[in-house]
Amino acid sequence: MEAKLEQVLPKVESPKKRRMKEMSARFFQNKLAVAGGVFTLLLILMAVFAPMVAPFSPSHQDYAKFLQSPSASNIMGTDELGRDIFSRIIYGARVSIQAGIISVGIALLLGIPIGLFSGYYRGVLDEFVVMRFTDALLSFPPLVLALSLAAVLGAGLQNAMIAIGIIFTPNFIRLVRGEVLSQREREYVTAAKASGISDVKIMFRHIFPNCLPPILVQATLSIAAAIISEASLSYLGLGTQPPTPSWGAMLSMGQGYLKDAPWISLFPGLFIFLTVLSINLFGDGLRDALDPKLK
Amino acid sequence: MSNKAKVISALFLSLMLLLAGCGSNSKSSSSAAKETTKESTTAALKHDKSELVVGLDDDPPQLDPHFSTAAVDRQVFHSIYDTLVDVDEKLNFVPALAEKWEISQDAKTYTFFLRKNVKFHDGTPFNAEAVKFNFERMMDPKAGSPRASELSSVQSIEVIDENTLKVQLSKPYSPFLAALSDRAGMMVSPTAVKEKGADFANSPVGTGPFKFVSRVKQDKIEVAKNPDYWGGAPKFEKITYRPYADENVRLTNLTSGDVDIISKVPPKDVEKLKTDSNLKLSEVGALGFQGLYLNNKNAPFNNKALRQALNLVIDRDAIIKVALRNTAVPSAGAIPPSSWAFDKTLKPTKQNIEKAKKIMADAGFPSGFSFTLQLPAKPVEQQMGQMIQSMAAEAGIKVKLELVEFGTMLDNMDNYKFDAVRLGWSGRTDPDGNIFALYHTTGSINYGYSNPKMDQLLEAARVETDQAKRKEIYSQAAKLGQEEVPYIFLYHELDYKAYKNNLQGYKHIPDTMMRFQDVSFK
Repeated sequence: MEAKLEQVLPKVESPKKRRMKEMSARFFQNKLAVAGGVFTLLLILMAVFAPMVAPFSPSHQDYAKFLQSPSASNIMGTDELGRDIFSRIIYGARVSIQAGIISVGIALLLGIPIGLFSGYYRGVLDEFVVMRFTDALLSFPPLVLALSLAAVLGAGLQNAMIAIGIIFTPNFIRLVRGEVLSQREREYVTAAKASGISDVKIMFRHIFPNCLPPILVQATLSIAAAIISEASLSYLGLGTQPPTPSWGAMLSMGQGYLKDAPWISLFPGLFIFLTVLSINLFGDGLRDALDPKLK
Repeated sequence: MSNKAKVISALFLSLMLLLAGCGSNSKSSSSAAKETTKESTTAALKHDKSELVVGLDDDPPQLDPHFSTAAVDRQVFHSIYDTLVDVDEKLNFVPALAEKWEISQDAKTYTFFLRKNVKFHDGTPFNAEAVKFNFERMMDPKAGSPRASELSSVQSIEVIDENTLKVQLSKPYSPFLAALSDRAGMMVSPTAVKEKGADFANSPVGTGPFKFVSRVKQDKIEVAKNPDYWGGAPKFEKITYRPYADENVRLTNLTSGDVDIISKVPPKDVEKLKTDSNLKLSEVGALGFQGLYLNNKNAPFNNKALRQALNLVIDRDAIIKVALRNTAVPSAGAIPPSSWAFDKTLKPTKQNIEKAKKIMADAGFPSGFSFTLQLPAKPVEQQMGQMIQSMAAEAGIKVKLELVEFGTMLDNMDNYKFDAVRLGWSGRTDPDGNIFALYHTTGSINYGYSNPKMDQLLEAARVETDQAKRKEIYSQAAKLGQEEVPYIFLYHELDYKAYKNNLQGYKHIPDTMMRFQDVSFK
């Protein structure tokens, strides 16, 4: 397969461009990954343009029509307070995507520098402080840790994102450190050192770009996990607070009505499922495309 | 390829595990068909008939009646303790630990003739000395018992003989007997109190039909039959109280057969339960009121205008229709419709956003204000909270909802660490137990409200022995309360108990407390 691609590609392109092209070709061959990507993109568009897409305000309560099954005016039905579930799903996507991206952003912001320094300098600090600390954090079941952090910080979306960001940080520290450990032995690093470039510059300008692909994959998959974590925290009442709609909180309110009004929990559940599945498929596809050796 | 194989083998393994799990549930595979049908039909009788499992709406914070402030505590107390007098289904006073009593002409002297040969669970004899000890325990100013205010009119207690006790009041106090039918009349063992001190609440000793056995916080409270009970040995060997804060979980446990009787039924399921042939649903107008406690001491609700504004933004009918499914009636004051003192002319406040805005603007808050509303983490409460949040937003009032565990919420209230709390009052048989407690400066559920005129009225009602005149005074107090809004009334609930239809002898008393000494399975 690869040999064939190689033949098709024109030879004039720079190696960088060629690699990109190869990569995207591999990615687009993976139908599931493309589907995941498309769904994720649609979801993001829907979240961004929520006020234009949603037929109602997500917090508008119409007491004349609570618990109504899906109909023409409310295509996903109404909830226990007469709010339009479709509109809440759309606005809920905002919360989910925001939670996914920001909490992973926090994890990256903390994880990358710590991992870089730890892997580059090694020594006592790396072995006995950073690594043991990540071990300690990783030994907690993630949700339990997120729950206790959210409980300490106080309920709310912002604190939930911080809590989720913190629990994801050790993964990135380990990942980056592992990559750096292998990269720092390469010749280009020795060459850079020999030409007198500062350590910080070597780390961020030379080593870091070479560590990017696995980080990108890990970050994508973590966004899916972060969305689930936010939904779980909101389900338990520690995440997004009303009146802001959150899929997890919608699921939790709907569980009392499973028998009479299953649509209240069905749609948020479905969207959590589809979103996480799509992002995971996309992430898997990305991994396969970036690193064909793994396949 | 290898990935696919892995997935398939994983699926296969989990299927095997699932099957194995199912297998261990059905006892023998040979008579499987017969066995399973039998099991499913008798699901309602999972445990034997000598044990009753009760589903409570929360974990009782306290097992010492003299220090209890939560209604759910009382559900357990009625098994462990006896009261001096009790109430029947029509709220008449009936003998309990006191066989009879006499009230003097001036309504200031109560003579109690106590039941003979009654013993506490630890063997301590129950007598006039024990009652005196109990009264003194509650009235000790150092102890800080919430009962002290109910007994504040007691001047002296005199032991006449082993089984006769004379209580002298400093002034007439009409709600006295009603107080004694509640926690102030619950007798604890003097020996146990002296031995255990503060630890008494963890291993309480009373005279009731059941003895305390053990407790696991947030899980269960177990009590066992007191075979020597004066009213005849109860029918159950054991009662287990289990807390289910989530009403849906509580109801599910009843329908699945794990629990035999539950207190407080989710409003949305009331209609359905009425037609369920396996269960009985009992309804009675409760004695309490439900609404929002406001912190009258601190900002923002030390400002009367803001209290009035919040009161005006609430649409009570909508809350009752949507969140409570018509299992309640709108409330205008502390006295419920079931009481003789209920004033029909006092109307619940109607929603009026414009008026609320105007009041706020006049008070210097033209763009509204914000506050935090603490709620118990229960589905109906969250619904109500979100409704109030949305109603208040119309007038520019920002409400932040905060879900709080019940015990923590009571602590926060005691320490004034709240703006507003969504909580009611289970109510007392005498109206004084509702309205005095809420509005009087020294009231046990008054959070920083004080008005000399109000105090004067409530004190006058206490010493008034003519019921018609008392009612008139309470009406005046209620009107003043509606004007000053120290508390926001939302509704008066109807109390529901649901239980298995083979449970017999259960009487639904309007004080909503469950008593089990005469209850048994068919």
